[in-house]
Amino acid sequence: MCKVFNVTRGIMHRTKSQVVAVKDVSFEVDYGELFGVVGPNGAGKTTTIKMLTTMLLPTSGKALVLGYDCAKEVTKVRERIGIVLGGERGLYTRVSAVDNLNYFADLYGVPRNIRDKRVKELLDFMGLSERAHNRVETYSKGMKQRLHLARGLINDPDIIFLDEPTVGLDPEISIETRRMIKELVDKGKTILLTTHYMFEADELCKRVAVIRNGEIVALDTPSGLKKYVMDTSVVEVEGYGITEKEVAKFREVPDVMSVSAELGEDKQVLKLQTPKGSEIIAEVQQILKNSRIYDIKIKEPTLEDAYLRLVEG
Amino acid sequence: MPETFRVIYSAFRMAMLHWIADPQWVIPNIIAPFVFTTVALTLFRDSTGPFGLYAVLGGGMMGMWGNTVYSSGFAIEFEKWQGTLEEVIVAPSKLIHVITGRAISNALFGLTNMIAILVIAVAGFRVSLGISDPLMFAASLLLTLLSVSALGLIFASAFVLSRSAQALTNGLETPLYIVSGSMFPIALLPFWIHPAAYVLGPTWGIDAIRLATSADYVSQSFWAGLSPNIAIFLDLTIMILITLAYVLIATVLFKLVEKRARITGTMVEA
Repeated sequence: MCKVFNVTRGIMHRTKSQVVAVKDVSFEVDYGELFGVVGPNGAGKTTTIKMLTTMLLPTSGKALVLGYDCAKEVTKVRERIGIVLGGERGLYTRVSAVDNLNYFADLYGVPRNIRDKRVKELLDFMGLSERAHNRVETYSKGMKQRLHLARGLINDPDIIFLDEPTVGLDPEISIETRRMIKELVDKGKTILLTTHYMFEADELCKRVAVIRNGEIVALDTPSGLKKYVMDTSVVEVEGYGITEKEVAKFREVPDVMSVSAELGEDKQVLKLQTPKGSEIIAEVQQILKNSRIYDIKIKEPTLEDAYLRLVEG
Repeated sequence: MPETFRVIYSAFRMAMLHWIADPQWVIPNIIAPFVFTTVALTLFRDSTGPFGLYAVLGGGMMGMWGNTVYSSGFAIEFEKWQGTLEEVIVAPSKLIHVITGRAISNALFGLTNMIAILVIAVAGFRVSLGISDPLMFAASLLLTLLSVSALGLIFASAFVLSRSAQALTNGLETPLYIVSGSMFPIALLPFWIHPAAYVLGPTWGIDAIRLATSADYVSQSFWAGLSPNIAIFLDLTIMILITLAYVLIATVLFKLVEKRARITGTMVEA
């Protein structure tokens, strides 16, 4: 399926242009599978989710969820899916968790006798029962995220779309959220997850699609994706005073497949993917001769390294 | 059908909970009417005729009107601010039913204006406001509230497409007060404005409310010469027909704008 947005700019002199958000994206997800979609910002992950959840119409192609056409059989799709968007927004913060869940249960047409029981069960499952009648604005980030998950499950969906569910959460809450996601898969739910974090995709997903500029550039199991970089090693350099100019120089080195750098004030880490392994160390030292090098490690590539290679082309 | 009413009620309840949780409503709904009514009643203290009727009911209608035109139009923006619009859209219930619940809640809350003005007028200025037909008064008020809510739905549909719809509702608020006869009788307006007044459901509702308040008003109503009961019946019948037309127009508009929003992505951030 494809999605093209028409963009108009200017007031006096209006100019029209087209932005291709998603191009020829095609994949199938099995029942009970946890399927990951990864890619950089603006790659088309959220647009893909929004087409599958009926929020956007594909410009061309077809999206089927449980056999229903997302463009034409909107209500049938909506009845069977749940969606959880990341971040703190997406909840009515001036009212309680119970009010939020009851409201969405009504919008999903959950019968009254089932509604009250399900709301109680979900609050128990998410560990929110004690604060169920407090206003959501008094909740911590982690509690809000658990409430998001509870809301996404209010209609007992067959498929759950999780759009970056751990974005902005601290490590402890992220671990807890991932544990809950695993429990949902154990309960037989099918999950489509988008994430920025490769370790998350590696830990949770059976298969992962990598999207770049609106196109799927790879689709495989996490271990299958790692094979893309099996012929390489990762040289990790920890140092101080490394400049963007020096990082750019590494991109021009013929045997360096990908370069990523975190140039923080306290800590600077440079990662190079190369088939040369330790043979490249002399060249690293030469390029970084004006910077301090604290440590150089040669590592086995991870899913993140495979991802970097794929998205950098 | 019961599911539809359940969604409308649930959206109505959620909107009421937000009104209660956010005390900002005290300013437009209690303090502002207090100031305006005090000024109006002080200025025209010695006037003759049904001045109290116009000051109190007109002020109250303005509150209901303003609340609905502003808040119902704003209903979509409210969901966007909360970040809940996507979740509401993805639910299988129809967006128009959710917004209907909100619109009714907004109109009902706008009535607090009328109550505030009534208390100020009767207790502070000893304005006599005997309601000659309380049952018809309540029925007219309720139906007018629903008519105003239905008009709010049409405004809400504009918000699905464009943020500049805010300018539309802001710009229309005062002309609608005047054209619907909330402020003074339509007869005082130029004849070419009259057709615009006749297609507004609340115009007929206000006429019915005034008739139910004072039987003497019949001479100034659309139905001069008829008995007050028949006049009220005719007013309400026309208003119901216009309201049904509003609902039909809003249903079509919501379908169109929802489809368009799914193409352009204006309802959700992609």
